Amino acid sequence: MTIDEPPALALRGLAKSFDRKVAVGGVDLDVPAGSFYGLLGPNGAGKTTTLSMAVGLLRPDAGRAWVLGHEVWTDPVEAKRLLGVLPDGGRLFDRLSGAELLAYHGLLRGMDPDVVDQRARELLDVLALADAGRTLVVDYSAGMKKKIGLACALLHGPRLLVLDEPFEAVDPVAAALIRDILHRYVLGGGTVIFSSHVMEVVERLCTHVAILAQGTIKRVGTLDGVRHGRSLEDVFVEVVGGRTSTGEELAWL
Amino acid sequence: MAVTATTAAAAATRRVSARDFVRLKLRVTANAFRGQGWRIALFVLGLFFGLWFAVGGFLLFAAPGLADSRDAAALVASLGGAALVMGWLLVPLVFFGVDETLDPARFALLPLGRRTVVTGMFAAALVGVPALALLLATSGLVLSAAMLGGAASAVVTAVGVVLGLFVCVAASRAVTSAFATMLRSRRMRDLAAVFLAVCAAALGPVQILAINTMENADWERFTGVAEVLGWTPLAAPYSMGFDAAAGRWWAVPVKLLIGLATVLVLLWWWSRSLESAMVGAATASRGRGPARTAAGGEGAVAQLFPPALRRLPRTRAGAIVAREARYWWRDTRRRASLISVGVVGVFVPVVVNLGTQGFRFGSAGQSPTRLALSMVFVGALTALSLVNQFGYDGSAYAANVVAGVPGRTELAARAAGFSLYTVPLLGAISVLIALLVQQPGWIAVAAGALFAGYGCGLAVTVVTSVLGAYALPETANPFAMNTGSSMAKGLLSFASLIATAVLAIPAVVAAALLPGALLWLVLPVGLAYGAGAAALGTHIAGDVLDHRTPEVLQLVTPRR
Repeated sequence: MTIDEPPALALRGLAKSFDRKVAVGGVDLDVPAGSFYGLLGPNGAGKTTTLSMAVGLLRPDAGRAWVLGHEVWTDPVEAKRLLGVLPDGGRLFDRLSGAELLAYHGLLRGMDPDVVDQRARELLDVLALADAGRTLVVDYSAGMKKKIGLACALLHGPRLLVLDEPFEAVDPVAAALIRDILHRYVLGGGTVIFSSHVMEVVERLCTHVAILAQGTIKRVGTLDGVRHGRSLEDVFVEVVGGRTSTGEELAWL
Repeated sequence: MAVTATTAAAAATRRVSARDFVRLKLRVTANAFRGQGWRIALFVLGLFFGLWFAVGGFLLFAAPGLADSRDAAALVASLGGAALVMGWLLVPLVFFGVDETLDPARFALLPLGRRTVVTGMFAAALVGVPALALLLATSGLVLSAAMLGGAASAVVTAVGVVLGLFVCVAASRAVTSAFATMLRSRRMRDLAAVFLAVCAAALGPVQILAINTMENADWERFTGVAEVLGWTPLAAPYSMGFDAAAGRWWAVPVKLLIGLATVLVLLWWWSRSLESAMVGAATASRGRGPARTAAGGEGAVAQLFPPALRRLPRTRAGAIVAREARYWWRDTRRRASLISVGVVGVFVPVVVNLGTQGFRFGSAGQSPTRLALSMVFVGALTALSLVNQFGYDGSAYAANVVAGVPGRTELAARAAGFSLYTVPLLGAISVLIALLVQQPGWIAVAAGALFAGYGCGLAVTVVTSVLGAYALPETANPFAMNTGSSMAKGLLSFASLIATAVLAIPAVVAAALLPGALLWLVLPVGLAYGAGAAALGTHIAGDVLDHRTPEVLQLVTPRR
């Protein structure tokens, strides 16, 4: 990696409010190319809002975002070409079968039909979705839905993958599979940023971590730099703050 | 410990009454207004329209009393009442959907009996602008009865008016709910479509029969019809006060019984489909049949395109057309909308072109102008299915946003996908109607006006779908609407209809002015005009969409 290579994803002062309630209050972030980046945060911290603004799904009130040097909101065509996105809990076009959905995404990206066919077959095989045949995605299990969503994001060979909660509601087998694939993707020169609140996954996978709480970045850096010799969970709870039950309440339980 | 826990649970419970449902609905409605100025504006506008309708209806129903005419009173009560009930039955199916502020699926986990849920939902359904407007309008009958028969018959009429309201609300809920259930189940949905199509097709012969009977009839025949209607659930509640006024007191308890029994049967029917709706959200898509394994190792792209569309280009636009074509059939909401188009598309022209000829204009009442007018209306109505096309997608639309699809491609492809179904359907309707009015030569007029209306409708709805997109609730009921959005949908549809009608005037003018021998010209002119309008609308709306893509996505993403 050379010094003058632009970061895979750069955010400057991204901010968004809903009904005067601040969801994200000015996020700056640099995701180095080739890194495996974990965006950590409790529920409602603004992870989804931040990522949505970073990929052009939600117009920010203020701030800018660059994908490999292309500004998302002024040069969307080039930025979006380099991007693969798995939106949060995002409904896919789930009245299509897995193969149909992949074909749709591929053609939507302007890919050659033959390439789409070949890659779709490989992705369905590797992700163990080929057995589902023509079952509609709406009838898939939660883990299968995540896998087909990931396949759609990977299909056009993006340089940056933005995944919102890729491990949520996924069983260990599917999670291991997703991990492997993401690993290979990063080894091949791609960059991944994903949001999660599962410490274990983040510790196992990530090279870099950012902790987001109440709409601002609280800690950022390499995994070891943020951990500082402690467990990530300890750091997270300390940063986010929380209360512990005294045992007095809920006596009727 | 266990004992104290049980008593604690018991102490914390009290009976849930219908009042709680009503309060819940009011609370949810009020919360939906928070920070949403346009919703409040829409609501006020809705109130205004409701009041307008109510006052007009009140005057109409009070007129016979003011004019001191017993015959007219019985006539207005029976025919007007029956028309209202039919309206409450059909309008939600076709236009507005039902306000599902309280989604029955949300009550599935609560320990509530079926009876509690149904009475509660019913009470909540009674609270709303349409129901109140209906009550206000029909209370004109009370005034009529008071003037004709004194206080006693006024009281009977008041009871009847309330009972009539119950019948209307229960009927609309039961029918939409049952229809929704039918559309959900794989086995029944095709049956439902066929059933509706047969009903619509049967209208023609029934109408001709009715006209033939009416042709040699006068007002007394109507009185006869009114009297018969008065003994059906449609008008029994509304007419009983006038039986009292006429001294037929024995009829009052009988009609009261008819009305009550109707309400109870409807509520029972509703509770049956409610139950399936309550668990339906979880099982809606189950049992879709075994997974067919990929046929003969077909490629993914080949699978996306339905067999009939094999020749579409394998491009962005082609992919969107193919997906839309699949969705118009596979998505229950969209299929319901398509079926409604088929039904109304036959119903409206039949009523307009056959209905009035009998007694108002004589048998020479048909004219190319009237045919063209009704066809323009059908075309506009068909295009209305697209008025919230992005709302159907919900958050899935994100895929197109991330892929950066140009607005014009997006809108043109969507219109094309929809037209794959509607163009053959509308063509068939043109031929059918022309044959029904026994003027095969007018097929060109019918088709020309229809496609002109459809094209103008597309032009208007692509614009409204970009500017006025709103989120649909994630329920299994294709007729369900969020709080406030039924009003929004109604107004958007209404405004789009008016705009379309204005745009499509040239087609009607052509039908009116062209001499008989040149009437065929309406077809090419209408086709060109409609296609031009649709292209222009797509062009303009595409630009708007390019600047609003994330906003549209946010508007159609359901708030959780």
